[in-house]
Amino acid sequence: MDEIDLHIIEKLTNDARLSFRKIAEELKISPDTVINRYRKLQKKGVVRGSTVVINPKKVGYHCMAAFLVDASSMHILGNETNPVDSSLILHKLISMPNIILATKTVGDHDLLAIGVARDFEHLIHMTSEISRIPGVKDIQVSFWVEKSSLCPKYFIV
Amino acid sequence: MTRGTQIDETDANILRALQRDARHNFADIARKCSVSTDTISKRFRKMKKAGIIRGTTILLNPKSFGYDCVASIGVDVSYPRLNEVVELIQTIPEIVFFATSIGREDIFCIAVLRNVGKLSQIKDLIKGHPLVRNVTTSIWVDEILLCPENFEFGHLRK
Repeated sequence: MDEIDLHIIEKLTNDARLSFRKIAEELKISPDTVINRYRKLQKKGVVRGSTVVINPKKVGYHCMAAFLVDASSMHILGNETNPVDSSLILHKLISMPNIILATKTVGDHDLLAIGVARDFEHLIHMTSEISRIPGVKDIQVSFWVEKSSLCPKYFIV
Repeated sequence: MTRGTQIDETDANILRALQRDARHNFADIARKCSVSTDTISKRFRKMKKAGIIRGTTILLNPKSFGYDCVASIGVDVSYPRLNEVVELIQTIPEIVFFATSIGREDIFCIAVLRNVGKLSQIKDLIKGHPLVRNVTTSIWVDEILLCPENFEFGHLRK
């Protein structure tokens, strides 16, 4: 990455819809160069995607929470006992509606998910949905009361 | 509890398209909604003005910038002096997000760090605060799945 890449990244972090033409004008390079640089950054995985940042409260979603999940060491299904694959839990988590981030973790818990809910009842419903995923042993919820504003450079919370 | 600002199906379609790709072409969204491109840009501006849309952004991989460790930090605090610990957390540049919370811990933080050593230093720093009872850390394993488009606008459903 050089100065040009960093400039493109900075501009698009603040406004992902900024036209490549405008960025090119600022840098006094051709729009094609900007497009090629952006594609390269995507290909290298520096830029993982782009998104709109919505204020959940404005569309009726008043709760956000972190779900701290512990996996059991064995998963019993009928007479069969299988080792738990936490990757399966991870993919189940991220395919749930309103879970916007999920990751395996090392340390206090096995997996972590961040979710958006309409109200407390909805949050409880989500918690029980997660607890029903095969291999989930325990789940603890950290219900966010007040959160810092975040320029979502890496995450979209 | 308020139901939030009313948005219609066209607004929701715009949000859904942009959740997946913030650079999604307005003309393309317009075609799918059978309205003019002008309508889409007007709606977009309106939602921005109403604060429904905070902005658009690209999602970066911390590793590409030399930040090899992402972790969540849970902090247990002696009540009722949460704010004093929050003040300390705000001074730590590696903590990119924090929320005061009910449940498992009192403060939930996300930190983006150069390495695990730095995480250990920050853990010690927070633990050193006289009002902090306990600090737990969880390092996020490489496979972090981001899915902003999972965020549904359930109340729109009939």
